[in-house]
Amino acid sequence: MSGDGATASLAVATAPPRAAARAESISRWRLLWLTLRRKPLGAAAAGLIMLLVLTAILANVLAPYDPLETHPEIRLTPPSREHLFGTDDIGRDVLSRIIYGSRISLWVGLLAVGIGTLAGMIIGLVCGYWEGRLDLALQRLMDAVQAIPGLILALAIVSVLTPNTTNAMLAIAIVIIPGNSRIVRGAVLSAKQNRYVEAAEALGCRHLHILVRHILPNVTAPILIIASIWLGNAILIEATLSFLGLGTQPPTPSWGLMLSSTGRAFMEQAPWLAVFPGLAISLAVLAFNLFGDTLRDAWDPKLRRKG
Amino acid sequence: MYKYVIRRVMLAVPVLLLSSVIVFGLMRVMPGDALTVLMGESGNIGEKELAKLRKDLRLDLPYHEQYLLWLWQMVSLSPGDSLFTGEPITVSLRKAIPVTLELTALAMILGLALAVPIGVLSATRQDTPSDYAGRMVAVSGLSFPDFWLGTLVITFAAIWFKWIPPIGYVSFWESPTRNLQQFLLPAAVLGFRLSAATMRMTRSTVLEVLREDYVRTAWAKGLGGRIVVYKHALKNALIPVVTVVGGQLGVLLAGAVVIETIFALPGMGRLTVEAILYRDYPVVQTNVMLVAATLVTLNLVVDLTYAWLDPRIRYR
Amino acid sequence: MPTQGSNGDRSGVSRRQFLRRAGGAAAGLSAFALARPSRSVAQTASPYPEWIPASTKPAKRGGTLTRASAWDPPMLDPRMTQSVGLFQFAGLTSNRLVRYTFADEAAGPGDMGLKGDLAESWTTSADHRIWTFKLRQGVKWQNVPPLNGRELTSADIKYCFEAYAKEGVQTFNFKEIEGIETPDKYTVRLHMQSPNVFVAQALAEPISIIFAREVLEEDGDLKKRCIGTGPFILKEHTRKVKVVLQRNPDYWDKGRPYVDEYVILSTPDAATRTAAFRTGQADFIHVASPSEVEVLRKTNPNLVAQSYFNALTPFGLAMSQDKPPFSDVRVRRALAMAIDRQRQVDTVYEGHGILGWGVPYMYYQDKAPTAAQFGPWWQYKPAEAKKLLAEAGHPNGFSTTLFYYEYFPQMTSQVQLVQADLKKNLNIDVKISKLDYTTYYGRYVDPKWEGLSWGFQSGHAVGLDERTYQYMHSKSTKNFFRVNDPQIDELTTKLRQTSDPKEQRAITKRIVDREFDQVLRLWMPYDNGFMIFQPHMRNGAALALRRTDAYGSPQIARVWLDK
Repeated sequence: MSGDGATASLAVATAPPRAAARAESISRWRLLWLTLRRKPLGAAAAGLIMLLVLTAILANVLAPYDPLETHPEIRLTPPSREHLFGTDDIGRDVLSRIIYGSRISLWVGLLAVGIGTLAGMIIGLVCGYWEGRLDLALQRLMDAVQAIPGLILALAIVSVLTPNTTNAMLAIAIVIIPGNSRIVRGAVLSAKQNRYVEAAEALGCRHLHILVRHILPNVTAPILIIASIWLGNAILIEATLSFLGLGTQPPTPSWGLMLSSTGRAFMEQAPWLAVFPGLAISLAVLAFNLFGDTLRDAWDPKLRRKG
Repeated sequence: MYKYVIRRVMLAVPVLLLSSVIVFGLMRVMPGDALTVLMGESGNIGEKELAKLRKDLRLDLPYHEQYLLWLWQMVSLSPGDSLFTGEPITVSLRKAIPVTLELTALAMILGLALAVPIGVLSATRQDTPSDYAGRMVAVSGLSFPDFWLGTLVITFAAIWFKWIPPIGYVSFWESPTRNLQQFLLPAAVLGFRLSAATMRMTRSTVLEVLREDYVRTAWAKGLGGRIVVYKHALKNALIPVVTVVGGQLGVLLAGAVVIETIFALPGMGRLTVEAILYRDYPVVQTNVMLVAATLVTLNLVVDLTYAWLDPRIRYR
Repeated sequence: MPTQGSNGDRSGVSRRQFLRRAGGAAAGLSAFALARPSRSVAQTASPYPEWIPASTKPAKRGGTLTRASAWDPPMLDPRMTQSVGLFQFAGLTSNRLVRYTFADEAAGPGDMGLKGDLAESWTTSADHRIWTFKLRQGVKWQNVPPLNGRELTSADIKYCFEAYAKEGVQTFNFKEIEGIETPDKYTVRLHMQSPNVFVAQALAEPISIIFAREVLEEDGDLKKRCIGTGPFILKEHTRKVKVVLQRNPDYWDKGRPYVDEYVILSTPDAATRTAAFRTGQADFIHVASPSEVEVLRKTNPNLVAQSYFNALTPFGLAMSQDKPPFSDVRVRRALAMAIDRQRQVDTVYEGHGILGWGVPYMYYQDKAPTAAQFGPWWQYKPAEAKKLLAEAGHPNGFSTTLFYYEYFPQMTSQVQLVQADLKKNLNIDVKISKLDYTTYYGRYVDPKWEGLSWGFQSGHAVGLDERTYQYMHSKSTKNFFRVNDPQIDELTTKLRQTSDPKEQRAITKRIVDREFDQVLRLWMPYDNGFMIFQPHMRNGAALALRRTDAYGSPQIARVWLDK
């Protein structure tokens, strides 16, 4: 492993003085690039994610049909040249629905994980930085949320808010918050041990300044690793909520809804209704998980101290 | 250490109280009502009958009184009856807990049996094709929704082998063979899901341990690679792995919800989710609090063990 | 749950549909012709009979009958619930005073004839206010404590009916009984508050079972024990696991039941129930569509399928017709003309379904209604619909909501097709909410919701009074579609006072005509699906409004296993 990799790895664990911070963040991406080149699985995962993002962005260009347009006369048509992935229970083009579904899945994932991560990060930063009573109270609240099984909590939240995609996202976000806040808090606590933070405090720098400039950079690596894995989990939770009847509303083309409702109902008469959304879900989840692993390999110093 | 234990136990109390408030609150603002569902689409219930039923079930009390009443019921270990079935919750739990315990325990065993060897293999042959293959197998467990895997397994078992686990739960003591026939397949599905996280943890800890000085020394001393791995590395690596497995309880329970539904097992997951769907407040509250208390206790035990192993933690 | 409902006139419709489909395929809709389902549909619209006559072989005794069931009894108290979970077997542990014909004695699936169950005969006074039932003599309660096989008497009936009137979900019906006399051990005389010709039918409803006085007196409720005079004794009920019913050796109908045990396995997932049938763990199962029968036949070629007789549809678009815009009949008519129902039958129901109506047609005519019979507002005429909606003041459509619960997957297909039709033809934006059962049900039965709902009429009812007065009279608690029409009120009340069968039919027809003219309930296509039996199961056929696996469970007393 190259020398600058070693410094960067240290940078994640401890933390750089301000001048080095920018250099560190550059080298971190380089580090990722190097890891990706070394690890074909990671590279494949990154490629898949890129593909997913591109599909979502270009859905209206890529989709051969309107994903909502119904043609019941050609319902349950097997894959053919006109409909590469076949048609569903009311004659909609499955391929187009999968393509548009990438938007829903990414949207669910990004928003749920985004909100969950952001909220978790803020709580973690506040707790870790100020400690004291607020920390104690907030951490107990986080413990309390975490003590309730995630799926049950999500199910209850969605029931309360009426089931739809946005509320499923919110529910997932709430499930994510406690774990993230704890990771961030831990990272903040360890960053605070460092001399330059103490120095900054001694110099009378404002809290916000210290937080943003010195502490936040230490937190981003673990957060991104976790976020990547949660992106996959969010898709699975959304699918499971749909299975339990509380997910995305028809006719929205969500992969989870497609698999759990029509996919399962017509799984023998029209296996393509299950196979393609199922594949889409599995590939996306796999990609996010493997990418998370890759990030960890690249950025987590503990794994890389092999010299 | 003694002080530390007291402090940690004291901290667990507000956590459980907060959990109970969250659960209680969520259940009360949910739309729909257990009583109307119970009547089975009769539409024949008058407001008067409904009011009487509510009163009998003490649903007419103000929320804070209902909450306090419930807290008292929990503390005195008499959680009352289900709104929907009228069955005492303790009776339901006594039947449901062994099912879920057996399912999750078997799932853990099967999951570990799959995950640990793959994890070790992956670590010792890092970045080789067998590493990739092993990781793909394990990680693919993460990428299947439980309900989909369960559906595939049961449908194709029926089509290809003309066999599915016998429906109609029988306890292990009643008939061990029938019971195992019922549990092995669902436990395997659930265990497969579980194995991914365990395998990843095994892989990374073994990797880490392999780089420790004493392992390298052992290696340098000329001990065979396999012996080094099994005798030194694995033993040390497994501690965090066990922690991860312990932490998977929540995941297992979520999986149990789906797997118990598909394989028709009368466990905690199905009991809880059906109770949510039927707005059976007392059952949901009691079940969730039971799980929360278990999780909190487990975490406490883990933390205390660490503190005992590593005195520095106590002074944080 | 409206698990049981209704119909499909296949004699009239299916041949036409078959031709239509065949024509479509021939016309070269290549994708359509390629599609597996379309082909199998064309073949399967007719091959399964609507009726399986009684077996001519002598019945064999013994064996265990099993079924994987979606439902679990919430509780055992028939006063407190009408859930199919309970009534999938409560009609086996208990009898009723009167019953509808069983499949093995009926002339056909639409036979609505009444027979005595616990009553041997009954008479009614000229004004239909006094009903006298003569009980069968020597009927014994099941030989289980606390009854220990004592004889059933008229006092038991009186006690039971009074208990129903006092508390629970059946009060609405039993409160109409003003007084009960028991002149002797075997005679029960009911005095009704108002003339009602349908009392015997009401007492034959699957939910009107006779429970044991001792149990209610000892326990204070009927939640724990289910003891009756019926053909089966409830041996075990383990929640979410199974219900085990054991043959009652002292049953008054000598020789019956034939099977030793009937086991109902609680199996919440549909895929698992299918797997259970495939592997022989279930002796019978209900499936929704012809293509599902085909799929099952691949692994179980010897299965016996009965195409379930569609007498009505349990589901329709319920409109909040007490509020604008749906209070305007023109809006309701526009909606009815803008939804292509035939297309739903042809596609979603694979040609094996009905356009939809709410009153069992046998009560007013011999043959299933045809599309033309529904009148002008029920033809698919998008342009006229648009015009009518404009007249009503909505030339540019409007936005509304529709909430539903997915009873079966085809329903979701229909909901989305309705959404597409209304958007395309009337520019009405419908926002769909797919809810969990409790939320859906709670919201639906409380007459406060706005917009649209995929509404149901209860599944258990067989009788005409239930299907008319109870579901449409403005004062009825079961009037979920919020019908509020003076003519309907008058006609349904008059109907229950009319004893002449001919006149009954005429009034029923007027009710139906009025309902369709005013679009009071916007019925949606439906298919009752198929009952599928293992080849060794005999006499399990389902009758109109009485599915053997649901509210029609008393039929199990007649089932035997040929193996």
